Amino acid sequence: MNLSNASASLNAILPLVVVILWACALLLVDLFITKERKGLTALLAAIGMLASLIITLARLDLEAVVFNGMVTVDGFSNFLTVLFLGSGIVAVALSYDYLKRMGLEKGEYYVLLLFTVSGMMLMAVASDLIVVFLALELLSIPLYVLAGIATPRLDSEESSLKYFLLGSFSTGIVVYGIALVFGATGTTSLAGIVDAITAGSAGMGLLVAGAAMLLIGLGFKVALVPFHMWTPDVYQGAPSSVTAFMAIGAKAAGFAAILRIFIQAFPALSVDLTPVLWVLAALTMILGNVVAIAQRNIKRLLAYSSIANAGYILLALVPYGQSDVAADSVASALFYLLAYAFTSFTAWSVVIALEQVEGKGLELEDYAGLSRRYPILALTMTVAMLSFTGVPPTLGFLGKFYVFRTLLEGGFPGLAVIGVVTSLISAYYYLRVVVYMYMREGEPQAIRDPWLYIAATASAICLVVLGIFSQPLFAWASQAMLH
Amino acid sequence: MTPVQILFILVAAVTLGAALMVVNARNLVHAALWLIVSFGGVAVFYAMLNAGFLAVAQVVIYIGAIAILMIFAIMMTRNVAGDSSPRFNSSQIIGLVLALALFAGLVWMTLSWSGATTTPMPLDSRADPISQLGSALVSPDGYVLAFELASILLLGALVGALMIAWDRK
Repeated sequence: MNLSNASASLNAILPLVVVILWACALLLVDLFITKERKGLTALLAAIGMLASLIITLARLDLEAVVFNGMVTVDGFSNFLTVLFLGSGIVAVALSYDYLKRMGLEKGEYYVLLLFTVSGMMLMAVASDLIVVFLALELLSIPLYVLAGIATPRLDSEESSLKYFLLGSFSTGIVVYGIALVFGATGTTSLAGIVDAITAGSAGMGLLVAGAAMLLIGLGFKVALVPFHMWTPDVYQGAPSSVTAFMAIGAKAAGFAAILRIFIQAFPALSVDLTPVLWVLAALTMILGNVVAIAQRNIKRLLAYSSIANAGYILLALVPYGQSDVAADSVASALFYLLAYAFTSFTAWSVVIALEQVEGKGLELEDYAGLSRRYPILALTMTVAMLSFTGVPPTLGFLGKFYVFRTLLEGGFPGLAVIGVVTSLISAYYYLRVVVYMYMREGEPQAIRDPWLYIAATASAICLVVLGIFSQPLFAWASQAMLH
Repeated sequence: MTPVQILFILVAAVTLGAALMVVNARNLVHAALWLIVSFGGVAVFYAMLNAGFLAVAQVVIYIGAIAILMIFAIMMTRNVAGDSSPRFNSSQIIGLVLALALFAGLVWMTLSWSGATTTPMPLDSRADPISQLGSALVSPDGYVLAFELASILLLGALVGALMIAWDRK
């Protein structure tokens, strides 16, 4: 390969290169920013991601397979890259005032945020299991550290350690799975795995074992039941701005890997894997929604809600082996991820606005009477809860609608019924938050930070407006094919 | 004596001397630095034996990764750098006897192995694993992306580790 080919390869992953170089430069620039003006670091981090976002948006129809097939840029990866960069920018907006209030302001926070965003972007384009592994580590390790950034607060340290131990454990399982897949097919490239299966040279027993290991390891990352045990403690202990980003970015990146690996490389294994996915999705929806009912702490409640939502996203993947449904699988999963991201950011920004130092202001009782003193916050939280429940015309409703439609197309009405019933169960605990805000008396305390309010109201407005005019968005998700 | 033999004796003396300093140094950081010298000596032996790949691996893995990791661990865990406890304890005689017995056993085993006295086959000069490895790592057709990403990953992990462990107070 000559140099012009190398520069074409770099050009294809330009948004990723921009974020990584920006992170390295910011690490140096941050040294010269005084402790009182760390807002500048936050602003610079957001500008870096915005620049990368503009590059991505300017060439949304770019498609390329570069670096000897290790990287595939296609509609799928462009969609997710936009999602990750948008999440990163919103996370900076949520973090700035929160970190100052909690006394956690450090320039490295934003550098690590950029590193983890670059890991997620890499995950979106990875089409080789080696790159998948590196992306998984690049997105996880900064998150382990960010979860523990409030050290020496004990719950933050506990959260970081639990996340680190279980995260490393699950990465180990992923590596084991990659090794087994390599043993079965002699390659780590997704296209090469397909070729080996078609040529009949793959050891199918080993391959199924490897695929199962990959599913378990990535299932830990996206918090599928029964691999979800870490989620409530980690989400509760980590600083809320980190949790908000973790709940969206890490989950979307995990699903990016699952979708690409399974739909691209393992459709031939669907006979063995579809029943497994069926059971996992059903368990995740039931357990997440039922256990959430018992939660009084809003961060734990949202943690169980995120587990339940992982189940709904997994629904889209259940019929992945049917070639005529696979395209709808990808489209509805991507659309659901987008709806989930908007809804989560709305809810988490309200949580961040109400959180006080020492972990106060996080119980349901602290939300009583919110509608009187902070009507805008109460309204945005209501929109988020309705969207989580799946009430029209919010984006959350359409997300569930498209996922259930994909399931019916694939011929799994039973699972769709479980999904609808668990959605009804979830209405109980989501709407209870609304009841507290509007019908109970209380003296809630919230802060007035312009960036936080902009993030909360903007994503709430998006939830409704995009919910009503969802056609272009779904059309975009439908074009986000895997190649 | 040939120049190679002189070189061998010099390097062997440095390697063994540095290894002795590792166990004798009172300061843990100094011990880690002596360990690097000792590792370096072993790398020179590999190079003298025409085992270029092993020499490079020794430098990259032992000096580059393990020794630096040890120094990092020592620097980030405070209050253990200076050790003031006595360097010899009551079982030093037993330790000496055991060490000598082990050494004698190893010498006897090596001498009684037939391969120790026969002249080895010359290496195939066409095989050049290092340059193959090098071009696989940095060629755009090979693993340059994974190689560079691994360094970004390590940088992120380094920043994170320092952020958690560094004592700011």
